[in-house]
Amino acid sequence: MSPKNGLRRRAAAALAGAAVLGLALTGCSGASGGSGSSDTLVVYTGQAGDYQINFNPFSPTKIGGMGTIFESLFFFNKAEVRDPEPLLGTEQAWNEDGTVLSVTLREGVTWTDGEAFTADDVVFTFDLLKATPAINGGGYDGTAAAVDDTHVTLTFATPMFTKAPDLLSTPIVPEHLWKDVDPTADVVEDPVGTGAFTLKEFKPQAYTLEANPDYWGGEPKVKEVRYLSLSGNQAGADAIAAGTIDWQTGPIPDIQNTHENFPNYDAYTQWQNQMVLGTCSNADLGCTGPQTDPAVRKALYYAMDRDQLNSLAFMDTANDVSPVFTLTPSQDQFVSAAIEEPVAPQTAQADTASQILEGAGWAKGSDGIYEKDGERLSLTIEVVTGWTDYITAVDTIASQAKEAGIEIDAAQSSWNEWTDKRLKGEFELAIDSLWQGPTADPYYLYNYFFVSTATTEVGESAGNNYARFDNADVDAALAALSSLPLDDVAARQPYFDTIQAAVWEDMPYVPIMTGGTTSVWNTAEFTGWPSDEDLYAFPAVWSAWDCAEILKHLEPQG
Amino acid sequence: MNYFLRKLSFYAVALWAALTLNFAIPRLLPGNPVDILLAKLQQRGETVTPETRKAYALLLGGDTDDPLWIQYWDYLRNLAKGDLGVSVSYYPAKVSDVILTSLPWTVVLVGVATVIAAVLGVALGAIVGWKPGTWLDSLVPSTTLLAAVPYFWLALILVYLLARVLGWFPLQGGYDVVLTPGWNGEFIASAIQYGFLPALTIVLASIGGWLLGMRNMMVSTLSEDYILTAEAKGLSPRKILRSYASRNAVLPSVAGFAISLGFVVSGSVITEQVFSYPGIGGRLLGAVTNNDYALMQGVFLFITLAVLGANLLVDLLYGIIDPRTRARA
Repeated sequence: MSPKNGLRRRAAAALAGAAVLGLALTGCSGASGGSGSSDTLVVYTGQAGDYQINFNPFSPTKIGGMGTIFESLFFFNKAEVRDPEPLLGTEQAWNEDGTVLSVTLREGVTWTDGEAFTADDVVFTFDLLKATPAINGGGYDGTAAAVDDTHVTLTFATPMFTKAPDLLSTPIVPEHLWKDVDPTADVVEDPVGTGAFTLKEFKPQAYTLEANPDYWGGEPKVKEVRYLSLSGNQAGADAIAAGTIDWQTGPIPDIQNTHENFPNYDAYTQWQNQMVLGTCSNADLGCTGPQTDPAVRKALYYAMDRDQLNSLAFMDTANDVSPVFTLTPSQDQFVSAAIEEPVAPQTAQADTASQILEGAGWAKGSDGIYEKDGERLSLTIEVVTGWTDYITAVDTIASQAKEAGIEIDAAQSSWNEWTDKRLKGEFELAIDSLWQGPTADPYYLYNYFFVSTATTEVGESAGNNYARFDNADVDAALAALSSLPLDDVAARQPYFDTIQAAVWEDMPYVPIMTGGTTSVWNTAEFTGWPSDEDLYAFPAVWSAWDCAEILKHLEPQG
Repeated sequence: MNYFLRKLSFYAVALWAALTLNFAIPRLLPGNPVDILLAKLQQRGETVTPETRKAYALLLGGDTDDPLWIQYWDYLRNLAKGDLGVSVSYYPAKVSDVILTSLPWTVVLVGVATVIAAVLGVALGAIVGWKPGTWLDSLVPSTTLLAAVPYFWLALILVYLLARVLGWFPLQGGYDVVLTPGWNGEFIASAIQYGFLPALTIVLASIGGWLLGMRNMMVSTLSEDYILTAEAKGLSPRKILRSYASRNAVLPSVAGFAISLGFVVSGSVITEQVFSYPGIGGRLLGAVTNNDYALMQGVFLFITLAVLGANLLVDLLYGIIDPRTRARA
């Protein structure tokens, strides 16, 4: 699911026609005004419909508070390869074999109810996770111990280097309050954290955070942050046009000219999610159809005219993609030297596509479509109803593929049905996007989408690896990487080389482009937003930890 | 058998059938709530690993392992106790709480708008029907045109003109979020200001139906013998209009009105989407996209009860108002 605008698309699925009309209607007026008091930042996170109060940081249905109220030990920036930003922790180090993580804690931090923050709170939080499997989403199974008031160790049975970003991003809760809380069922109406903001008031249509004057990092300059609920990203775009919100992450009409249309606002795009044609690639696990032939997947890769796709389907907000799924250019350092083509070609390479297909035994039939053993090279792409940019992309790919002798049909279905087909392997191709791990490192993407433990036979619900890629060398390389420190570049690269060679060879996810995540924000009333010069966090309002960092950096202008 | 008892037993059977369908339909949807929840989390930029899936499957409960008939039995038993279950998409909130925070918005907005549309439509229809063939008749095509235009299109045009261009009304929302909801003048004034435009769109879109129905009934009632008699007696036209013609012509509209009240709860999905208005329609939409069975069942239950209740009321009222319906009792 593309975080970029999945939310908008969901609303659009229910009201596709209306959304399109809304775009047309709201796109042509340039009126924009202030958004109330300039100390108050009004944001729209994509919440569709009313809020139901829930500030439990371990609940999957929480509505907020991560990073703003409850802090973690460190902040990991997934937008750029950087050292983690110290929050409640100040230093962290693994022992030699990656089984003991030592963390030094910040001194002089207090909870917003006045109690002091200590190492016991950290130990309590990790013990709580381990004791409550229903909230242990990271699968933590170590032993936490307080060495003294400001030092904590986490001890594991096996090397856990790659788990560090997840572990250190755990929200820390106060022991003196949480010892009586049921972490699975309590909605924590009155959250007490260490963060830069506290909850001021909650209403189903909006909740408001206010600056914590005793914050250890100094009181934030933004005095209040209001989170609105609207009906979807379309309504968010309308609110930008009316000047009633200061920040939303999602597309607005005529996005290239945001500043001309709405002088108070600017749009900023970053690229985190590789849009792909996911394929049911593995015949051994029960996939059927021409796409089980790697030559067909490669031919599709070369048949795409990505420049045309970008302008027709993605409003020119998409970016280059690497066929081995390192983000480009921020993760170029991880690309294997053996990969001759680190960026997918921007224009269609029909000749290359033909060569590959003919080399694999396909021959052009009388209607210009390839055939092999009587089977026509005809494929169906599954796409979600109402996801207009993906639908346009599929139509564009279909006409481009036809030039290369591949016939493509589109099949639209509801999000639920599409998800079900994809996970159960009852599809040929599905347009979708991949996502990154907790920090800027390609290991996580490989481990999510290419490890054989995250897949299963067709008919059963697979994990993230719905392409059903299964390669013993890749599994072994991933296992080896998990016992190497993230900063040991020299030791890790050979394993990345192995993975990338296999990913390129097999191409179970055919890269389209890297999708842009666009934030539209009020630059007239607030400064300090992330930029190319200082990309201190991934700029997306729905990405809670990043959003909290940004809120701390912002300064109201008069 | 007594007319009322017969009606009541029919409604009991209808209720049971509706409850059973209500149980079955959500379960025919593809997908499962955990997958949807994970997809949503991942949209928010959180890490989703196999462990996450395991944890949340555990958290939300694996009741899907029970055979269907046990689930059905539990469902009926809990309903009898008034327990609608726990919402998955708003976990751990109870379905009844989720619905009750949204329901008043919908009932007031759509309810008031429906009453206004019906009263205005019937009154105008009576007047137009009283003098057919005059310029007043042009009201019929003009209001039916508004009813024929797709509702969301009408709503979007009005939003664009009245809220965006002229700035007379707020663009979206149910009240000024700076205010605290409650029984105070400021909040109520704000709620009225925010609700005016959505209510206007509903009234404009539905008034045509009422007007047309009432006008046609008026025209046929006017040709009845008793109207002629009334005129021959020398009653004032005003009295004939009110006490003779309208009272007889309005009967079908009363029935229609009660039924449309039943659809108040369900008829707000698009209104709420266009205006970002809080209410039950948005909840229903969210429940469907999140495979939140319990919430879906809860909302459907309210809709079913509202429709059945309104129909029952009409049937019973008709028994009193119009003796002919009791004839075979």
